[in-house]
Amino acid sequence: MRLEIGNFYVKDIIFGDRLSLNDGILTINKEEALAYIREDDRITEADLYIAKPGDKIRMCPVKEAIEPRVRLDGRGLFPGYTSELAPAGDGVLHALKNCSVLVVGRHWGGFQDGIIDMSGEGQKLTYFGQLNNIVLVADTNEEFERHEQQKKNDALRRAGHKLAEFIGACVKDLTPEDKDVYETTPMIRRDAGIEKLPSVVYVMQPQSQMEAMGYNDLVYGWDTNHMLPTVMSPTEILDGAIVSGSFMPVSSKWSTYDMQNTPNLRVLMDAHGKTINFLGVIMSNLNVALEQKERAAQFVAQIAKSLGADGAVVAEEGYGNPDADFVGCLVALEDAGVKTVGITNESTGRDGHGQPLVTLDEKCDAIVSCGNVGELISLPPMETVLGELQALARDGNSGGWDYDEVLGPSVREDGSIILENNGMFCGDQVVGWSPKQMMEF
Amino acid sequence: MVKEIEKAGFPIVQMCNLVPVAKTVGSNRIVPTISIPYPLGDPDTSKEDQWKLRCHRTKVALEALATDITEQTVFRV
Amino acid sequence: MKKVILYVNQFFGQIGGEEKAGVEPEIHEGQIGPAVQFAKELDGIAEVTHTIICGDNYMGSNTDAAVAAILDMLADKEMDLFLAGPAFQAGRYTVACGTICKAVKERYGVPVVTSMNEETPGVDMFKKDMYILKGGNIASKMRKDVKAMANVAKKLLAGEPVGSASEEGYFARGIRHQAWRKDMKPASERMLDMLVRKLNGEPFVSELPIPKIDRVPIAPAIVNLGEARIALLNTGGIVPVDNPDRIQSASATRWGRYDISGDKELRGGEYKTIHAGFDPAAADADPNVITPVDALKELQKEGVFGSLHQYFYTTVGTGTTESEAARMAREIIPHLEEDHVNGCILVST
Repeated sequence: MRLEIGNFYVKDIIFGDRLSLNDGILTINKEEALAYIREDDRITEADLYIAKPGDKIRMCPVKEAIEPRVRLDGRGLFPGYTSELAPAGDGVLHALKNCSVLVVGRHWGGFQDGIIDMSGEGQKLTYFGQLNNIVLVADTNEEFERHEQQKKNDALRRAGHKLAEFIGACVKDLTPEDKDVYETTPMIRRDAGIEKLPSVVYVMQPQSQMEAMGYNDLVYGWDTNHMLPTVMSPTEILDGAIVSGSFMPVSSKWSTYDMQNTPNLRVLMDAHGKTINFLGVIMSNLNVALEQKERAAQFVAQIAKSLGADGAVVAEEGYGNPDADFVGCLVALEDAGVKTVGITNESTGRDGHGQPLVTLDEKCDAIVSCGNVGELISLPPMETVLGELQALARDGNSGGWDYDEVLGPSVREDGSIILENNGMFCGDQVVGWSPKQMMEF
Repeated sequence: MVKEIEKAGFPIVQMCNLVPVAKTVGSNRIVPTISIPYPLGDPDTSKEDQWKLRCHRTKVALEALATDITEQTVFRV
Repeated sequence: MKKVILYVNQFFGQIGGEEKAGVEPEIHEGQIGPAVQFAKELDGIAEVTHTIICGDNYMGSNTDAAVAAILDMLADKEMDLFLAGPAFQAGRYTVACGTICKAVKERYGVPVVTSMNEETPGVDMFKKDMYILKGGNIASKMRKDVKAMANVAKKLLAGEPVGSASEEGYFARGIRHQAWRKDMKPASERMLDMLVRKLNGEPFVSELPIPKIDRVPIAPAIVNLGEARIALLNTGGIVPVDNPDRIQSASATRWGRYDISGDKELRGGEYKTIHAGFDPAAADADPNVITPVDALKELQKEGVFGSLHQYFYTTVGTGTTESEAARMAREIIPHLEEDHVNGCILVST
């Protein structure tokens, strides 16, 4: 399979007459874009903003991030979700780089939503603090979940994906500044030179733990709760086969933007033929019952063994009980003779004394660790808030609280906030961005 | 929590689905349950079945408290 | 100017060698032995006002008396930080440094810093309690070890954050926090490096060393279950629908207890789960699937056990740290003791 990504680097974003990209300046016709968003009659209120690195902007509650792109063959960006089911992973797409579409609730947040700051100490706590962002701030008529702590955020998230397609379309006929080409060959038909290198699989454990539908990550529009581990091509992941969900404290989550760009996959593909023979992806899952966790680990180990993998990398989208899926999978792979590296975050608590993962096993001897969900973070007020800051305290955000005897509420009258890292939007970046590391003190 | 209570001298049985978690934490008496969201009654089964399962596993837990053990033990259900 | 006091043994206090190891603690104004170099290193930031000297054997054999005497000597001194050593590879001296640092920190609440070689007993005994710099094995490393201690001391005196154990060169204290790498090397590249090394059989360093499991002694079994009083606890967040104790949905610091005496039942609509780590539908519909109050009452009626403690106890397990969980347990225990509970069932989700 051959996926070609033509890159267009966005240096600035402005509102203007015509949706276009000129010399790195992305112009968006705001009214036209909003009219497109409002075609979904669940959207009751919508506005667009621009948030760039250095801006004194805080966003809350952030629900999703998507890289604007266009497929040159006219296929939707997310087959099975924003468009008809079709294969992904092959073909040419154009992408607006250094740029993302963010979706922010106008009022209501929930357990799974997050914070992004564009400047100050908070800027480096998410990947999106360094991007040029088109920010959709909207509300919906989804009354059934208005006051629910767990929200599907379906209308808002879909609006974000559609908006990313809408904006990405402006570079369809332009020539990209440069290209990334990701090419895979059948696993069993590779050059002798490559065959000599140790072979590696990448095991993804996307968030799939809600038994109710509408919350989990999707694979080609299919709820990952309904799947068992299977083999996928890395180019499928980079080409929109996976859409992020709406469950799990947000610092542990992988946004759709993260899936589209998964740095772990990119480094493995770059290393292919040099230091490793990268076989491909085993798409696994996360579960709620021990037997399900064990079954998935068993499948992953069997697939890795059947493919002849010498090594594996396992990444989990979550913490807490998903650690049991993660550790279980690492142990199953090691037991099958596959040398495995894990990537995760930890929950050592505010004081850093806690047990890092809920299950531990001495076989997990190679782990990359990207953050502490319980790290306490204080951030000063920001001039501009997009959304509604109270959502952090009021709506059961996993990193916030409305009341604490010692710390007071998460959102203070002057607009300063105190929260756990849990609430930073996709902050732990287990997909591979994370410059943070867990360290001993 | 379990360890602190046991340290105070109370025998304590942990009923949980994720047995590896309880083992890692260092619980000494463990009785497995059927899932995380509904440890003691699968809503997809009849009320009668849920009740039977709940009574059975709770009884196993009570008996575990009255069972002498010498090492970390997962009781059969 | 901040004030610092240093503890050294009889040898570095220039009293004498092994034959003087029995000397009782004494305090001197000004700087003796390593204190001189500490004073230079801390110049402009703090002065080393006093040097305390104690024989290693006296500290080892008369620990309580030695510690009490030194704490008394410090009672009327101004002090912003306490130093001990460096102790190198001298076993008794490392234990002495750890012992006195711990006592001073507990009594006077000032930061303490010491230094030991990794081969000594003091490291494992005290590394969780204080900054112990990784010291040399012989006294010729004095300059280097004093400098390393002073670097950490300076940060503590200035109220600046102390870097990670590997950056600063101290023994990890069992505390793990997120921090930014100086090279900002992303996780993906760290992963690839580690992977290739592991595949090639080369050494690599995991970012999460697996800690040893801490165990507690097994509490003796209940002798007569038929007469035993049982208490029910859960970390699945079952609370009355208005969550009167405002228990958090994750990273809980609060707990509650709710009356289940007499013929009280747990009904959906009256009780619910506020645990945010799983789909709440089943437990909201029937809280007994987490807190089996109905089953317990039936089993009590059947005579399987004697009586049910009149409250069940609730907190939320997800993201809750061990130290918070332990504190909540310690708050709950007196209620169990008061009611002569014989055993506990804890349901976790």
